[in-house]
Amino acid sequence: MAKILVVDDSSTVRDEVSTFLKGSGLDVVTAVDGKDGLAKLRADPGIKLVVADVNMPNMDGLTMVEKIRSELKNSAVNLIMLTTESSANMKERGKAAGVKGWIVKPFKGPAVLETFKKLVS
Amino acid sequence: MNAQPASKILVLDNSPTHAGLIKTFCDQNNLFALKVRKDAIKSVLRTNIDLGGILYSDSYGETPEETAQIAIDIHAARPELPIIIRREQHPTLAGLPESTERVFCAAYSCGDMSALRQAVDQYIFCLVYPNALLRGIAEISTEVLRNVFKGVEASYDTPYVVHDRMIFGEVFSLIQLESSWCRGYMMLQTEEEPFLRLAGPGNGPTSTSNNFRRVNDSLSEITNMIWGGFKNRYIGDRSANMVSGVQVPLIVNHKHHYISFGTSNPQLCFRFNLEDERSGREAPLYARFIFNLNWSPEDFQEITPDHGGLVESGALELF
Repeated sequence: MAKILVVDDSSTVRDEVSTFLKGSGLDVVTAVDGKDGLAKLRADPGIKLVVADVNMPNMDGLTMVEKIRSELKNSAVNLIMLTTESSANMKERGKAAGVKGWIVKPFKGPAVLETFKKLVS
Repeated sequence: MNAQPASKILVLDNSPTHAGLIKTFCDQNNLFALKVRKDAIKSVLRTNIDLGGILYSDSYGETPEETAQIAIDIHAARPELPIIIRREQHPTLAGLPESTERVFCAAYSCGDMSALRQAVDQYIFCLVYPNALLRGIAEISTEVLRNVFKGVEASYDTPYVVHDRMIFGEVFSLIQLESSWCRGYMMLQTEEEPFLRLAGPGNGPTSTSNNFRRVNDSLSEITNMIWGGFKNRYIGDRSANMVSGVQVPLIVNHKHHYISFGTSNPQLCFRFNLEDERSGREAPLYARFIFNLNWSPEDFQEITPDHGGLVESGALELF
């Protein structure tokens, strides 16, 4: 089954997002920062969508998505940023790394559920 | 919302003749005046209420010596607090005993309240906080709190400034604010027990822990979201060119439960009240903005959605 990887250093956000997505019938794995996210993605080819925060310790979300494309050579996985950031520079960097969409927190599950389902199908 | 910040001050002046004039002045200048008995001054200073300054009188003590000694003791206890003295004869600091001259920052007489107004502006409201900033912080914060605590009403008091160098409290979160026009910290502060009761299952952010760690998780996320809102509205991409690496040490004192940013510049403070009408539970949340590294309000700019390309929070912007 296609999975969504939720990467956020905040346990409250990880819990909130994954609880909503699981409750909507989606399969979810979580990671606590960019490094952990890369490791989870490397280990699980079933992951079809990554929803990641930007500001995280150890490795930030934009560095993680750049490494997904450059180091993991994974161009198939869909990338969405879920963050408090909305600066044009950040978004440009995300776009250049292949990020497909940007959500400014707070997470409002029902508003994005259908898109998430399409991205993992 | 009253967009002018307020400040809490101690009025140590027993003159019945001038009491009405001083009270009117305070009401007209966003000063919350607290009268304190002489024997309670030390305990009030020790309780660390958020103070902006002190209005004193040259006849406060029974004798000139007592008047001088009380002022010296206050200054020793809270050197960061500006003390403005009312003088019967001369609206200046000239002629005061040498031992007390350094204690007072300014003098006034009730015959010329403009001197007091000038002193209040110079020493209590000495940093200018743009109205758009005050309104925006309140809007961003209440929106975040209402999103995080479903069904909980978030209200706020008039923002205020304090001069306390030491910030006492139970739980703090800190995050840096860096831009071309401001550098410093945003700090959130709350009390563990009431916050924990309010952030219980079904109310606050989901958290696996049910103890103080839940407070940490919730406070951390609230901090992150308010910080993000602040950055998006007031900083945008202007932080990218920020090159100053100047820092100053912060002091965290566990024994006495305080943190200090090493500055006596007035801090901009907001008090939010969270109230769950179903359970009647309440919790206070304080937000403090301490721009101890740079404050250039002349370069302040609010970023409108058109300039910043902002989208509604929670909405997915597909590229």
